[in-house]
Amino acid sequence: MKQLRLWPQSLVGQIIVLVAIALFVAQAINFGLLLRERNRVELTSQTAPVVYRVINALDVRPDRWPGRDNREQGEDRDRDRRNVDFATTRPTLTGKPRPDVEARAAAMFEDIGLTVHAIAAAEDSRIMPLRRWEQIRSRATGEAPRDHRVGRLTLAVEYEPGKWLSTEARIGSRPPRFGGWLVAQTLILYVIVLIPLLWMGRRFARPLKQLTGSARQFARTGLADPVEESGPGDVRQLTTAFNAMRARIIAMLDEKDRMLGAIGHDLRTPLASLRVRTESVEDEGERARMSQTIEEMNRMLDDILSLARAGRSSETAQKVDLTSLADAVVEDFIELGSPVDMIDSDRAVAFVRAQQIRRALRNLIENAIVYGDRAHVSVQHQDGAIRIIVADEGPGIAEDKMGEMMEPFTRLEGSRNRETGGAGLGLALVRAIMAEHGGSLQLANRPGGGLEASLVLPA
Amino acid sequence: MSERPHLLLVDDERSIREPLAQYLSRNGFRVTAVENAAEARLRLAANAIDLVILDIMMPGEDGLSLCRHIRETSEIPVILLTARSEETDRIVGLEMGADDYVLKPFSPRELVARIKVIFRRVATGGQRVTAPDGATYAFAGWLLKTQERTLVDAEGVSLPLSTAEYNLMMAFATRPNQVLSRDQLLDITQGREANAFDRAIDNQISRLRKKIEPDAKNPTLIKTVWGGGYTLSAEVRKL
Repeated sequence: MKQLRLWPQSLVGQIIVLVAIALFVAQAINFGLLLRERNRVELTSQTAPVVYRVINALDVRPDRWPGRDNREQGEDRDRDRRNVDFATTRPTLTGKPRPDVEARAAAMFEDIGLTVHAIAAAEDSRIMPLRRWEQIRSRATGEAPRDHRVGRLTLAVEYEPGKWLSTEARIGSRPPRFGGWLVAQTLILYVIVLIPLLWMGRRFARPLKQLTGSARQFARTGLADPVEESGPGDVRQLTTAFNAMRARIIAMLDEKDRMLGAIGHDLRTPLASLRVRTESVEDEGERARMSQTIEEMNRMLDDILSLARAGRSSETAQKVDLTSLADAVVEDFIELGSPVDMIDSDRAVAFVRAQQIRRALRNLIENAIVYGDRAHVSVQHQDGAIRIIVADEGPGIAEDKMGEMMEPFTRLEGSRNRETGGAGLGLALVRAIMAEHGGSLQLANRPGGGLEASLVLPA
Repeated sequence: MSERPHLLLVDDERSIREPLAQYLSRNGFRVTAVENAAEARLRLAANAIDLVILDIMMPGEDGLSLCRHIRETSEIPVILLTARSEETDRIVGLEMGADDYVLKPFSPRELVARIKVIFRRVATGGQRVTAPDGATYAFAGWLLKTQERTLVDAEGVSLPLSTAEYNLMMAFATRPNQVLSRDQLLDITQGREANAFDRAIDNQISRLRKKIEPDAKNPTLIKTVWGGGYTLSAEVRKL
């Protein structure tokens, strides 16, 4: 499954995206709660005037104090009874029913301790007469007076069975203005939280990046500068640990090199002794065979030491024309009378260690001569890579044996006689050299017969 | 030099020293074999030695140090023997003034051939160092790097040379503006004499020209001298 491209790969990127999402969700929840609270307040403020009117009217209703008719009280009564209608049947309410207002009003009555039997509420709107200043303005400017509609809430309450009281009051509705505020608030939060996070992330990321680079370089070349210890404590500790590991590996590799050097020296000395002594063998054929065997052992030793040292070359890489290189190697073979030819090729410059590439190419050509009678060498540009191709005229290799051929100590079936020789290290060494150069060794059977071995190097 | 040149063989390994001394004796040399540098110094002082064959890795004073001593005090040619194949060893050895360098295990015949080349050069008064010594020669926008056996062009791109091309290039770079005959070139590069129909040098010349001449048809660097041979017509600086 392909990963979503918006999801960043880096640690800092992931933290920032996560925090941004979390902040947004928190903001959305906040907003939801706020909106709910605001609606409750709005509802209460719409319901309260009618409810209080009802309560006041009920407090002074005509059947409450039948015996008393106090003057002072009477004025109050008159005022409170205004805008209130008493009825004995359920009044018909026009407009949209408001069950939410009914519920809120019921709760408010209950809080006060007033029992009511039924509540009905409805909202409609009506055109109000123009106010005086509006009339003046309209006349002055010639503008048509605006449609002066106002919301009106009607509440009917059955306070005793069969006794109804209804009242009405204007209600306003404010359009919610939360949107912009939420966006602004979220942006401010992002700035406050994400900028320090970004700064912190970079502090983390820089030493990590250096570590990665150094580790990569080390893996490729076996050499890397120690990483400067910087950043937060944890990262610093990681860097310290990495540097210690690096120093230890380098020490181990140096030790290995010294050991290999010693082994090489110790084995070559008796070989040299043998080689000198072969000269005292009378039989010329025997002498030639003996020196050939010694030469072979020496080359095996060379291959083993080179393979063991692969990736720890002291040679520095430089820009090299691979066509000239291939030509020079081929020329040396021709000089020795080997059946090798070079097919004219264009200049192909790559950044390589020339001695190593020479060695890899020599191994391929030697294989081609031994197993494939002849070697045809050419250099090609292909898709941003350079291929040094060694084609032979032999039987090729069975497709299922191709991978196996590049493992150390593997040789073609039936070739385990001293005639063709070798420890089967040749291709393993070539592959190690190619890996060190970021390239590869490719084997393929040619359509017309024969094997084609290619050194593929980045241009 | 007497009829039989006197060789001093210095090697701590008895298994090499003794059979090699025998072989060299059979091939017409007088051989004195010693096992360490101290003894070698005594022999050098007491005998008229014509050539020293010296193992690099020896207990006590090593071959390189003895080689430097010989070079400081005399003109006796030195061939180094070593069991290590690292390039640096070879270069250090040649910087110490060795005339040649042989890797163990070596063919005794080849060793004798190299000894003869050195004697012939001494006899004809040839220059001492023909072997690579890690130096770089600069000429006409090109660099010849002896350590890597490669030419480097003005853009910094290396053009590796085959052994024959390299030997020829070295012959020219160390003798700029001298006319070198085919015989001389063969002798310098391969240590052999030309036969009448030998075209090897001409082939190598044309290969070199393809690499370094702006126009191989009209060579301006490696010029043909009619009746004489070839010459490198450029200022050469040793870096």
